Amino acid sequence: MTDIAVETAGLAKRYGNARTGKTALVGLDLTVERGEVFGFLGPNGAGKTTTIRLLLDLIRPTSGTVRVLGADPRDNAQLRGRIGYLAGDFRIDGRQTGREALTYLGDLRGGVPAARTAELAERLDLDLTRRISTLSKGNRQKVGVVQAFMHAPELLILDEPTSGLDPFLQQRFVELVQEASANGQTVFLSSHVMSEVQQTCRRVGVIRDGELVTVADVEQLRQSAHRKVEIAFAERVGAEVFEALPGLQNTVVTDTPDGASVLRAILTGSPDALLKAAARFEVTSLLAEEPELEEIFFTFYEHGSTGNGSKEFAA
Amino acid sequence: MSSTVFRKHLTDNRRGFLGWALAITAVAAMYSSMWPVLGRNSSLSSAINSFPTAMRDAFHLQDYGTAAGYFGSTVFGLLVPILLAVFAVAAGTKSIAGDEEAGTLDLVLAHPVRRVRLAAARWLAVLAAIVLVGVVLLLVELAIRVPAEFTTISTANLAAMTFQLVLFGCCFASIAFGIGAYTGRRLYAVVGGAYATVASYLCDSFLPQINGLHWVQAISPFSWYLGGDPLRNGIQWTHCALLAGLSLCCAAVGIRGFDRRDVAQGG
Repeated sequence: MTDIAVETAGLAKRYGNARTGKTALVGLDLTVERGEVFGFLGPNGAGKTTTIRLLLDLIRPTSGTVRVLGADPRDNAQLRGRIGYLAGDFRIDGRQTGREALTYLGDLRGGVPAARTAELAERLDLDLTRRISTLSKGNRQKVGVVQAFMHAPELLILDEPTSGLDPFLQQRFVELVQEASANGQTVFLSSHVMSEVQQTCRRVGVIRDGELVTVADVEQLRQSAHRKVEIAFAERVGAEVFEALPGLQNTVVTDTPDGASVLRAILTGSPDALLKAAARFEVTSLLAEEPELEEIFFTFYEHGSTGNGSKEFAA
Repeated sequence: MSSTVFRKHLTDNRRGFLGWALAITAVAAMYSSMWPVLGRNSSLSSAINSFPTAMRDAFHLQDYGTAAGYFGSTVFGLLVPILLAVFAVAAGTKSIAGDEEAGTLDLVLAHPVRRVRLAAARWLAVLAAIVLVGVVLLLVELAIRVPAEFTTISTANLAAMTFQLVLFGCCFASIAFGIGAYTGRRLYAVVGGAYATVASYLCDSFLPQINGLHWVQAISPFSWYLGGDPLRNGIQWTHCALLAGLSLCCAAVGIRGFDRRDVAQGG
């Protein structure tokens, strides 16, 4: 038993023929360890779904290798038995009831106890006796959540799983992921919902234009992120004092009519140097904004920066 | 595992499958019950006999005055096989390509089912639905055989004709299934199946009337189905083998292609 759950090396995928085709992935190197909850982030069209469909052998790589739970996914039905999969736009034949659908999918897995599906449905407040075509988008998605979790798979592959779920159910979903994680199950979570990522993932990978931009520890990312700072002084101060400081960008000092001044800047990393420079003057107020994880990722999404997000910040 | 897929495909589509079986049987029964009126009508027979030979050949009207001749040209000659082909093409298309374009195939394929097994199980389920049509049709024909006065056609020959009808349906279901499984495109499967049906009919009826084109009859599934007159001569084993062989080839090529290609995400 290996301790790597997902491993891709130089994974590339091109759709269509050479002339009209489009490249969805250009050499993805990704490693997800067993037992971790790994967040997979990126703007739409970056290649998240392509990666996930490659892991499930729904599509085949143009080049590169994929290993899932230590095995090659190609034609590997037995491997898919150890995976639970949920797509964001979970689609299923609507002519059946939730129970019929789950029984069938359970049978394909060699049988799942009815008590287990009933328990999950109960927690999500899902009525299994209704025909799926009569369910709302959110309730249909719940059927998807149940089928992904019901057999307690070693690896959960979730592709924007909470789209269409209300905040209450998103919270329920987060609990399910946390439970799975406590159980030792690995979770590969592609998501746009930052609160969900923040609550569940320890590490995240950001993908953009078919390439992995960064893999980072969520906590470290927050530490190293840009934050807006605003310091008010009782006297006029010169901007040049602060412009020279490392980690400080977009430094602007505005003089106020009453003889005071305000410094506004973007701080990256440790605030130590800034505080020591400011301490020479009389400080009347200090404001440092907590960075939003969302904003951190916007910088990755838009500029494809490398490293830990400390690339030049666009004003 | 495969039997789960097979059963599920039948239960999911039970309404459509039963509906088609009843509709096709109703058409056949309607034509059959008109035999006492139309077949015994000597002026109609003489009018048909005055048609040009080529036209009579094209519509299988050589022998309208006997029960076997009448059934060969009306009940089993055109409408019932065409309706069955339409059903077969629709069902064959839906089983893989339709499901794939609807985006619902991903979910099942993410489960521990091998693609080859899934596709084969669904193909067999479609064939089972066509067998169902044949069984219902045969039972009703046997039930009305005495009241509708076509006892000159033996039970065995009626069964033989229905058996070849079922193989004929399986053939077009497999063509549409094969194209759909190979390409994943519903449109290609429907259009391919429809073209094959029409071409096969033309190759059996009109094209052979053209000088030098008589040979096309030999490659027409329609001719394999109806040629040799099963209503008089019983099962034509060579024709059955040809129909079954073509079905198997189309399904095998389709399943092999399906196993190797990317599955589309659906719209």
